[in-house]
Amino acid sequence: MANLSIKDIQKSYGALKVLHGIDVELEDGGFLVLLGPSGCGKSTLLNIIAGLDEPSTGEISIADRSVTALPPKDRNIAMVFQSYALYPTMTVERNIGFGLEMRGVPEQQRKAEVRKAAEMLQIDHLLQRLPANLSGGQRQRVAMGRAIVRNPDLFLFDEPLSNLDAKLRVEMRTEIKRLHERLGTTIVYVTHDQIEAMTLATKVAVMKGGYVQQLADPRTIYERPANMFVAGFIGSPAMNFIRGKLVVEAGRSRFESEGVRVPVPVSGAAPGTRNCVLGVRPEEMKVTTADNAPIKGVIDVVEPTGPDTMVTVRVGDHSVVARAEPRFQGRRGDPVAFDVDPLSINLFDAETEERIVMGSVHQDA
Amino acid sequence: MQVTKREFLVATAALALASGMRSAQAATAINYWHHFASQSEMAGLMKIIELFGKSHPGIGVTQESIPNSEYMAKVSSAVVAGGRPDTGMVVAERFADLTAMGALVDISERVKGWKGKANFPENRWTGMSQDGAIYAVPAYAFVDWMYYRKDYFEEAGLAGPPKTFDEFLIACRKLTNPAKGRYAFGMRGGAGAFKYVIDVMEAFGSPIVKDGQAAIDKAAAVEAITFYSNLFVKEKVVPPSAPNDSYRQIMEGFRTGQTAMVWHHTGSLIEISAALKAGEQFSTAPMPAGPKAHIARVAYAGNGIMKDDHVDAAWDWISFWGEKDAAIALLEATGYFPASTAALDDERIKSNPIYQAASQTLDFGRLPNRFVGAAGWSESVVNPSFQSVLTGQLTPEQAVDRMIEGLEAALR
Amino acid sequence: MKSVLHRGPLAKLGDLSETRYWVYLLLFPSLILLLLVVAYPTLYGFVISVREMRLTRPGLNGWVGTKHYVAMLSDRVFWISLKNTAIWVTAAIALEVAMGFVAAVALNRNVPGTKLFGVLILLPYFLPNVVAGHMWALLLDPRLGVINDILVKVRILSSYKAWFADPATAMAATIVVEAWHGFPFFALLFLAGLKGIPEDLYKAAAVDGAGPIRQFRLITVPMLRTVITAAVILRVISLVNSPDLLLVLTGGGPGNATQVLSLYAFQTAYREFNFGYAGALAVVMFVILMVFATLYIRLTRVSKD
Repeated sequence: MANLSIKDIQKSYGALKVLHGIDVELEDGGFLVLLGPSGCGKSTLLNIIAGLDEPSTGEISIADRSVTALPPKDRNIAMVFQSYALYPTMTVERNIGFGLEMRGVPEQQRKAEVRKAAEMLQIDHLLQRLPANLSGGQRQRVAMGRAIVRNPDLFLFDEPLSNLDAKLRVEMRTEIKRLHERLGTTIVYVTHDQIEAMTLATKVAVMKGGYVQQLADPRTIYERPANMFVAGFIGSPAMNFIRGKLVVEAGRSRFESEGVRVPVPVSGAAPGTRNCVLGVRPEEMKVTTADNAPIKGVIDVVEPTGPDTMVTVRVGDHSVVARAEPRFQGRRGDPVAFDVDPLSINLFDAETEERIVMGSVHQDA
Repeated sequence: MQVTKREFLVATAALALASGMRSAQAATAINYWHHFASQSEMAGLMKIIELFGKSHPGIGVTQESIPNSEYMAKVSSAVVAGGRPDTGMVVAERFADLTAMGALVDISERVKGWKGKANFPENRWTGMSQDGAIYAVPAYAFVDWMYYRKDYFEEAGLAGPPKTFDEFLIACRKLTNPAKGRYAFGMRGGAGAFKYVIDVMEAFGSPIVKDGQAAIDKAAAVEAITFYSNLFVKEKVVPPSAPNDSYRQIMEGFRTGQTAMVWHHTGSLIEISAALKAGEQFSTAPMPAGPKAHIARVAYAGNGIMKDDHVDAAWDWISFWGEKDAAIALLEATGYFPASTAALDDERIKSNPIYQAASQTLDFGRLPNRFVGAAGWSESVVNPSFQSVLTGQLTPEQAVDRMIEGLEAALR
Repeated sequence: MKSVLHRGPLAKLGDLSETRYWVYLLLFPSLILLLLVVAYPTLYGFVISVREMRLTRPGLNGWVGTKHYVAMLSDRVFWISLKNTAIWVTAAIALEVAMGFVAAVALNRNVPGTKLFGVLILLPYFLPNVVAGHMWALLLDPRLGVINDILVKVRILSSYKAWFADPATAMAATIVVEAWHGFPFFALLFLAGLKGIPEDLYKAAAVDGAGPIRQFRLITVPMLRTVITAAVILRVISLVNSPDLLLVLTGGGPGNATQVLSLYAFQTAYREFNFGYAGALAVVMFVILMVFATLYIRLTRVSKD
């Protein structure tokens, strides 16, 4: 059992509070991604989990054992860094085996385990080289090898892919996923890349300003973001936001804005009007010719990308992006209308920017 | 306005000529290198420049002070690479080297026709001449003597200053009291130590150079070095810092009361008088006599011409230093003994008992040794060899061997 | 019109600019400058060393071949100076590197006030050698020296010590003064180097279980290797070449206890006016420095990175 428990972790540097009571539970074998823009506190949290930084208050437990007071080396963790942090004077072999060496593992056993890890990562032919003579991808593999060989309770990854070029990044992402599935070790992974979060995580903690904005599985994060920040941070192109009113009358509800009139399935809401923001993902906007289409606008820009065509549309005062089919025909200035599945939309409170939960209909859609 | 190249050149040349003529009419500018550094020395120099300006309104003197230790380096660089000054200070010990490198201009003819020549007896000129030619006009003299603590002597029951080396040694033993931090003699063992090493060697009867050949008498020299170094090594009547003590340190030792006697020359009188009361706390005496000779140096210092661009103005300047007004101005500021007999007759010297020791020394004092390479041999061979005796790394015999060997090499 | 342009001198220059000789033409002015400023004095030094050049004996001047070099072999002072130079440079640099390292590590923290200390610690280096020398001569003075006073008060010494008068302590004392004067140079360079070491390396080592000493040996030192090598070479060159501090403190004495090559060459030239022999000494120093720098760079393998 190597679950991770983070309880009410707070961290201040002098008067500056960077973490405001973080609580996260991660099951054994889980893959937690800490996602957020720079300065959100995700790296600080990772350092606290590793023991490289001390929390002001709170507790960290790994495998049901409190490690808050332990130094990094006694937490049975392994860490992969953005800069790889390979020891420049040591060969690949010694780099990978260094943690074992520090623990006093005999040389023969060490060599065997290093070789095993290296073979898994296909770097066994590089063992006698120095880090200076490796490519970026090779260094990344060595860094991972160094983590694997220790057979830790917990892997910590600190933006491990951000120094790689785009193609290698995709490759290594897959590699990490494969590794996780093969080893089944619990992982905490810090990134600002939402694609990495979506593809790798079993659980995502979206962070901003020292708070966890939402802690959920990737699908929930994507489909039911807790607030406008999460909604806007996840997904590319980003979720469209349209400001308007939620009108409830005679047991029926609808969202209204200039050029927009979307029925909203709500049960048990009091009649009245309130200001809110409609959130709709570009791929949920389906081009239609129906007269009573819920969203109507004028084409601004058409951008074919190959598999899709991105259409930027002016709807009232808002600019909205739709992901249309590749052969979409239409030109700037043409009128265009979209159909929207009422179950796919999200409504956010205009003031608090929190998602408005609309009765039983929307739950677990 | 259009100006052709030709017109421009003509105009420039005319301007240059005009400005050149104007400056020639206004004043001849000459520069002067010296190694005066202390406040009193600079005051004396400024006074002389001021007096010179009044009597020679057509000549402007720019003085340049060069640290004494770098003076020869600077002059030799100027000789090799150019940039000589019009005039420069010449002290006796450096005269031979300066003339050998051709740094000085022969001024014999001008001296012959100079009215001030009468004030300088023949021995003043000897130190400034080479092969019958005169290269500098004497200005002042450093006369060797001894400063002693009158109060310490009385305390120790000593009647008066020692007249011989034997008396000197007896006085040393009586005056030393390490428990009080008091030592009899401030021996100079650091930079400049060679001067007294050579003097003691001569006092024990060993010449240094004769007819351009090394002439050290080994037995006498060893005896001299043994006597002199034993003050430190065996008698311990000298402060333990002696092997590194140079001018500043021996003066400090005397002024602060650490030492009872110190050998130096008239040049430091003003400095010591500022710290101790003349006639009560300290007094002066002629150097003690050695077993074979009574050695004290009278080193005349003067000024020479180094470049003949403005030779008339340069001559006016260096000969002015030999006149009574200038000599008295320097004496008032610094206490430096005048070279001119006209100035020596001044009341300030005749009536001051402190100066009596110097006046006596003038009768028997010798010029410093002068041979080409003297400075190099003294500092590079005599100094380290003697220091090694003080620190026990060499015996007096070995040190004398090194001195002889070095002297022969220097004269080759 | 076109054909006229092609024949004109400017057009020829234009043609030349297309050839590979153009590069040399552009480099020519700086080459001349370099030759004048670097090559000429260096070569002149070599030429002097095979000639007799004694300012006080102009009659002897002329070609003497290897005379000075042969004389050097049997020159006692030369060998002492050579040995002293090695001791003086090695010991001073070892001390300076150690002190520089400590200072740099101490300053490489984000503690308020370190900026001010960073400037303060550089002060010794700003002092000219001569000023530093005179200052320390006073501090260590056998009569007035503050340091003697302190050492006596804390009972390390029983009485004031004349540090520069005893051959056993003169060299050590001058080395300490030199180290005081020179360590900020290393501190500054090491600090810059330390700032360039990724924080991640130390974190990785902490996770792997390496303590501060191992971290220092396996990360800090190797990451600073280039800086250390460059700094040491620069410092060796400047120490071997500068006699001023020793000139002020001891003048090479007592005896020849603190005589070094640079001071010996300086004194030979400006005290004995024997520029030929001084030139030969300078050439030997030049060769020693070249050999040292080459070997040192090889050994530290800096150029490979």
